[in-house]
Amino acid sequence: MQFAMTSARRHLLPYWFLAPALLIELAIILYPVLQTAWMSLHDYVLFRPNNAPFIALGNFIRAANDPVFWLSLGNSLIWIVGIIAVQFVLGLGTALLLNQSFWWRGVARALVVIPWALPSVIIGLMWTWMYDYNLGVINDVLLRIGLIHEPIAWLARPDTTLPSIMLALVWQGFPFFAVTILAGLQTVSRELLEAAEIDGATRFQRLRLVVLPSIAQVLATVLLLRTIWVANSLDVILVMTGGGPGYASYTLPLYAFLEAYSSMQFGYGAALSLILTVLLLFVVYAYVRRAAAAEIAK
Amino acid sequence: MERRTFIKLSGATALASTLAVPARAQSATTVRWWYHFDNPQATPADLVAKFEAANPDIKIKAESIPWGGGNDYYTRLFAALIAGNGPDCAMVKLNNQARLLEMQALAPIDDMVAKWDARSDIPDNIWTLTKATDGKQYYLPLQYAVIYLYYRPDLFKAAGVEPPKTFEEFRTAAKALTKDGVFGFGMRGGAGGVDNWGPFVLGGGANFNKGGMVSDAALAANRTYVGFATEGKVVPPSAPTDGFQQIVANFKAGRTAMCIHHVGSANDIVATLGDNVSAVPVPRSADGKGWTLFGDESSAVFSASKNADAAFKWISFLSTAENNAAFVNLTGQLSVTNAGAKLDTSHPARFVEASVASLPIAGVLPDSPKTADFTGKVWPTNMQQALLGQITPDAMMQAFEALFNG
Amino acid sequence: MIERRSRLTRILTVELPILVIVAFAIAPYVWMVLTSIKPDADITVFPVRYLPQQVTFGHYQVLLEQTSFLGNLLNSLVIALGAVALGLFASIPAAYAFSRFRFRGRQVLMTQFLVINLFPVVLLIIPLFVMMRSLGLLDTHLGIILGHATFAIPFSVWMLTSYMSGIPPELDEAAMMDGATRLQAIVLVILPLLMPGVVTTGIYIFVTSWNEYLFAMMLSGDAVRTVTVALQLFIGEFTVQWGLLTAGGTLVALPVTILFLIVQRRLVGGLTAGAVKS
Repeated sequence: MQFAMTSARRHLLPYWFLAPALLIELAIILYPVLQTAWMSLHDYVLFRPNNAPFIALGNFIRAANDPVFWLSLGNSLIWIVGIIAVQFVLGLGTALLLNQSFWWRGVARALVVIPWALPSVIIGLMWTWMYDYNLGVINDVLLRIGLIHEPIAWLARPDTTLPSIMLALVWQGFPFFAVTILAGLQTVSRELLEAAEIDGATRFQRLRLVVLPSIAQVLATVLLLRTIWVANSLDVILVMTGGGPGYASYTLPLYAFLEAYSSMQFGYGAALSLILTVLLLFVVYAYVRRAAAAEIAK
Repeated sequence: MERRTFIKLSGATALASTLAVPARAQSATTVRWWYHFDNPQATPADLVAKFEAANPDIKIKAESIPWGGGNDYYTRLFAALIAGNGPDCAMVKLNNQARLLEMQALAPIDDMVAKWDARSDIPDNIWTLTKATDGKQYYLPLQYAVIYLYYRPDLFKAAGVEPPKTFEEFRTAAKALTKDGVFGFGMRGGAGGVDNWGPFVLGGGANFNKGGMVSDAALAANRTYVGFATEGKVVPPSAPTDGFQQIVANFKAGRTAMCIHHVGSANDIVATLGDNVSAVPVPRSADGKGWTLFGDESSAVFSASKNADAAFKWISFLSTAENNAAFVNLTGQLSVTNAGAKLDTSHPARFVEASVASLPIAGVLPDSPKTADFTGKVWPTNMQQALLGQITPDAMMQAFEALFNG
Repeated sequence: MIERRSRLTRILTVELPILVIVAFAIAPYVWMVLTSIKPDADITVFPVRYLPQQVTFGHYQVLLEQTSFLGNLLNSLVIALGAVALGLFASIPAAYAFSRFRFRGRQVLMTQFLVINLFPVVLLIIPLFVMMRSLGLLDTHLGIILGHATFAIPFSVWMLTSYMSGIPPELDEAAMMDGATRLQAIVLVILPLLMPGVVTTGIYIFVTSWNEYLFAMMLSGDAVRTVTVALQLFIGEFTVQWGLLTAGGTLVALPVTILFLIVQRRLVGGLTAGAVKS
């Protein structure tokens, strides 16, 4: 499906289409990214702006020897995989259900969007409040239905803190999956579905053999974008526990943030962020390779 | 390689903006002032109007900045200062004085204070507390709040105990009060919990000098404090991450019988509990020695300001008698001026008395660039690990020693 | 023939599961709404009080009359709509280029959109502040719109590209062979088919902007304060205004929900059905 390039003007056409997006991106974000990357090579302390010696890879070596860095990296991994997996399954299920027709579908679609429509600050505070040891509604409900016999300090135990925050984030993010997948489902050819049904395919077979392959690219893109977003998100953790208890809910971006703004070790914070960026780059690379392979296969 | 920073760019923009400004700078001087109030309904508009009426050549541009646990306010301030776009003056706290000073962002106000008539209305000890380590005055005291102990008279009566005066009495009371799901003490282990820990550990013999955190007395005091959670179990299991919202909410709901905070939350608690709440100074050691946190708030003029005189006029206006009384009425704290304190009627007397009675043992944390990091990150992570038994209380004190004197 | 399932089966396999999911989605929100209509004294009580003893709209009254919340809502609306307009204006052509052309540097350019956004925004905020200051965009609607659009464009380009790749290129090629200009082919053939994708992306940009805090906090002063920053002002140093906060949170979710209730009709199946033989 190659267009015939007849003239130089034709040849330049795609670049013209790209120009607005590229210009805005490069103008606003490229310079800050490069500058922050450059800062990671300095011992830059925010309150000593005039004395930031160049230390090459010093910040990165410091990270390699920093147990808190490794701990945060581990937590980040649990954070990303756990949240994305649950959000994805829940979002896909929701999208498939919301694509069926029933009389209150419009209302159901709008209500499901609510968690996504709330600012993180509100989400963090409300969930902290609901998880409260004495006054929280979650402990109260679980006690009433007899699932637990004494309240649980959800956000103060090393074993429950990270999963508790992750649940809040799953709640916040699954509507995004639902909405984007729902939009993707609209491109599935009805004729193909009907043909499969006539051939005697079960509902599950139709899902696996017709629906999922048709929306594969949308699924992959949403997964990738959401992984990046979740990997970088820290505001809900910051509001709910600030990383505690101890280092139980430290993730890499949270650690970078605290280093940069609480300790004001901006150079080290920038280095930690850069490490996260490089790790995410591998995910992107894997995705782009896969997408390229799929394109050739076409 | 050295001066690679944001400074270069901000230098250029500062130049550009000076070229652009003269056109409108002729008429009135505009003073940009940053503030943070807890109550979004409170507005400094009346104070601004009064000031502008008395000083027609000065306009005050008051900007409310979100506090965000302290992070947002200071991140915004430091970013603005780095970009050369800082305010002329702002509300500031001592825990950031050393950093601002090292950044050369503060303008000394000694000369202006010397010519200021109302300076003697602010007590000498408050001037001393707010003086910088280089001996100069950069901060103009604005308001204060001293950490004290809130208690519930009904629960104390039911348990048959008196408000504690010593650590030992505190321990006994907390134990007697802990029953039927109510906890004796709502310990704050999350952000800002230094003000709960300080009275027991700094008051119990620890200090920030070399070896001061790892002396026998310091280690013992800290073991006792951590022990309230790990051994005595007189604090809620949620203590490690409880912040002020949680300790105040639990106290209001009657789930804890004591909590440590200051006059800033008094009106909020009284709104729920009415007369069923009172306060005493924090407990001390048997020999009468103790420590509590002087919660400070000052005004500062920034060195980059071109309107330092006008800015000082405004901040000194705020720290003058009846204006200061009106100001603390908006913030819920206490007036730093003698005259203002007499005029202030915004708090029930018992909480003002507990604050004043605490002043003799009130101190501040070290004036060091490390202090903000200590309260914001190092203290919470180590305290929480100790509360969970992941490290020993002694290891926690060694970490503090290493931070300040390592 | 499409199989006709009984009403009962549909209730069990569709409506009941959806009911559970909807309940999960709105439970915390309902709790927030309930909190917002309780008197202050009912908010921190033990044991938990589910229904207010008396319903009060006092928090809403204070919120709307004594704070700048309405103005902040308006600011957020202007900024979010601006970000959607700017974001779609830049993203749709870019997605068209990526899905309909194979050109030198395509892979690299596509990847760069992602790479540029891998970096945590929190660390960019100070350099961004310095830059916005030198452009004179601090405390302006345009500054925040630019910022929010910048953070949304890469994701938008990718999402739109994948939706557009789902539309068979034969369709617009056929239109152009029939004499339509390229612009006509885009506007008359592709855009109508792309509508679910455009709507989703638009909502994505809107919500991203609507909920954004850090950037808005750093770059806006009193003049263009957004609703997220205004909400943060209710969380003071020593008191949290739970009543105002929950009332504000309740109101904040409404515009997005209503917006979605309106545009979700666009997410209707079978738009491409019969258009092309695969």
